[in-house]
Amino acid sequence: MWLLPVLFLIIGLSLGLLTNIQIPNEYSDYLSIAVLAAFDTLLGGIRAQIERTFNETVFLTGFFFNVSLAALLAFLGVQLGIDLYLAAVFAFGVRLFQNLASIRRHLIDQKLLTKTNKK
Amino acid sequence: MKNKPLWMVSFICLLIGFMVAVQYQTTTAEPEVRDTRDEWEVREALIQQQEVQQDLLEKISAADETLTTYEAESSQQQLNTLRKSIDDLEARVGLTEVEGMGVELTISPIFLENVDIVQEYPVITPSLLMRLINDLNKFGAEEISIGGERLTNLSPIRDVNGSTYLNNRPLPSLPLNVQILTDQPERLKNYMEASTSSEMFMIENLDIQMEVKEQLKLPKYEDPLYLEIFEETGE
Repeated sequence: MWLLPVLFLIIGLSLGLLTNIQIPNEYSDYLSIAVLAAFDTLLGGIRAQIERTFNETVFLTGFFFNVSLAALLAFLGVQLGIDLYLAAVFAFGVRLFQNLASIRRHLIDQKLLTKTNKK
Repeated sequence: MKNKPLWMVSFICLLIGFMVAVQYQTTTAEPEVRDTRDEWEVREALIQQQEVQQDLLEKISAADETLTTYEAESSQQQLNTLRKSIDDLEARVGLTEVEGMGVELTISPIFLENVDIVQEYPVITPSLLMRLINDLNKFGAEEISIGGERLTNLSPIRDVNGSTYLNNRPLPSLPLNVQILTDQPERLKNYMEASTSSEMFMIENLDIQMEVKEQLKLPKYEDPLYLEIFEETGE
């Protein structure tokens, strides 16, 4: 089941590395925050899948909305001279860890449950 | 389509992978170094490299020649060849006496007359001596001896408790003799007369007299050579 996403991840990585695309240095902030937002969305999606509350629309709109909001915040920060993208980094970072923790807990629960059931 | 969520996650993974790769390439990319040399600079660099190549080829052919004579000769002759190369090397380093035409400098103190202040006896400081040696080398000196001390590439010039030491021995007091061997003594003399180092000596109340000599004999370097810190130059 998890083979397909991993395969696509590898395809994406090789696509990016082989096309040799580089973005100007001043836009690398936007891209980094977009990557962070994407990670957050992905982990949120995995967590929702595990909790069986996954909704495609929420997932897809969440991805694009988060990415664009983060970029907008970074843009605003640049215009105002405040490092506003740090706010986005903080928010996404915290959510990322929360999602990870919740996924881990679920996995542990499942393992323990299967073990106790076997006994 | 049953596996729609899976495809969606896969699509997001594709995007993430792409973005991460682009970001990685952007951050690891080295700033582009542009070749801003114009045509003449490129030509000069080319000529320089050709000279280096020529020099290397000459060295190789000389080494090859030594090698072939070495291989072709009998053991006695081999020994002679070996002795000859050793002699050559010693002569190059400065371990042998050398003779030839050159220039003799005599550095003597100047005493000012009709001056009320008490004048100190002038001394040659290491920096002054180095300046003189640099100027001499610049104007084509081949071998130099200062006050009976042969100058080699390893000769140290130091200040020891206020007196100048050359080859770890103090310089004799003024007047001092500096002998220089060169192919063009007249030219060296003219250059030295117009050089800044003679002015510098003048400031320190030192006078340099120059004389072209047809026959000069330079002493050899006496001490053992310490070659512990030598390294290959990589050429």
